[in-house]
Amino acid sequence: MDGLNLTVAREGLASRRSDKKSQPNGWRHAISLIVPFSGAEMGFHSVGTPAPLYVIVPGISICEVTQMSYQAANPLADEFELDLGGAWTAYWLAFLRVVTGWWFFHAGVTKLIEDGLAYTYGPAYLKQMTGTALGPIPVLMGEHLGWLIQAMVPLGETLIGLGLMVGALVRLASVFGVFFMALFWIGNAEFGHGLVNSDFMGLLLFMTMIVLATGRYYGLDAIIEKTKLVKRHPKLRYLLG
Amino acid sequence: MQQHTTVIDKAAMALSGGLMLLGVVVLGIVEILTGKPYSAAPLTNDAGEVIATPMVDPTLRTGLVLAGLLVLALYGGYRLVAPMQNETAAAQQEITAD
Repeated sequence: MDGLNLTVAREGLASRRSDKKSQPNGWRHAISLIVPFSGAEMGFHSVGTPAPLYVIVPGISICEVTQMSYQAANPLADEFELDLGGAWTAYWLAFLRVVTGWWFFHAGVTKLIEDGLAYTYGPAYLKQMTGTALGPIPVLMGEHLGWLIQAMVPLGETLIGLGLMVGALVRLASVFGVFFMALFWIGNAEFGHGLVNSDFMGLLLFMTMIVLATGRYYGLDAIIEKTKLVKRHPKLRYLLG
Repeated sequence: MQQHTTVIDKAAMALSGGLMLLGVVVLGIVEILTGKPYSAAPLTNDAGEVIATPMVDPTLRTGLVLAGLLVLALYGGYRLVAPMQNETAAAQQEITAD
């Protein structure tokens, strides 16, 4: 804990002591407990707790630890420091990105090996997607854009996977990943165990890649974002990262 | 790192999250409460005949989720075309006399 935080902690306790007389007996115990309770000090890493937090100390009393940290955005911050700049977070997000990328890369490259750019199952799959929430869109795509679908399914999956694995244009690649997974989720319609199935979890994985900009963790996007081009056009970071 | 959220940010989060949670969780609870089938797929017997259909059409539920994703996509498009927040802040910076 640094000096600033310690000061805040003491101020918090001092003000609490001044209110002591107006509190029920339990609060007096609570106030005295805060001092030896090391967690109280650790909690002050986050100043500006939005609402009072109450904790029960087993066998003693209920403590109000108004100033204790509870970071809504990162509840584990006090315990493991899982902020987005932390080593474990970086490791895990990079790992997740590479595995997700491999998933799509494998699916795409094996189609390329077997069928090249003539993946005829693609348009056929879309044509059977009748009566879905997407309306006539997939059927129309299958009927009128068959030549494109045949090429873009294997190529798209491969490029999406490649992008994620090397961490380049991750957000852009993931947008297409979400598009693919939305079609698979609706088309496969394997809802026997509910709407949340493996297809939907795959969709959410790609959304996670977008939201957390996972290409910045051991990915090429971390390097690309430092180039002059990106600095001149910072909006490119919405496609990178 | 501190991030400032605008009304549009909050609206996008609330609307997309609301739509997706409505489709997946809320209507999922309705599906359970209304009896078999407890999921979004029709129940069949050994002969393959449908013996119970979902209370809420899965098309509606998946449609709500897609609508939520669409909101996020539109928000992403908006962020691409709208001025960046630091650009706006720089443009709006007040000059005060001391």
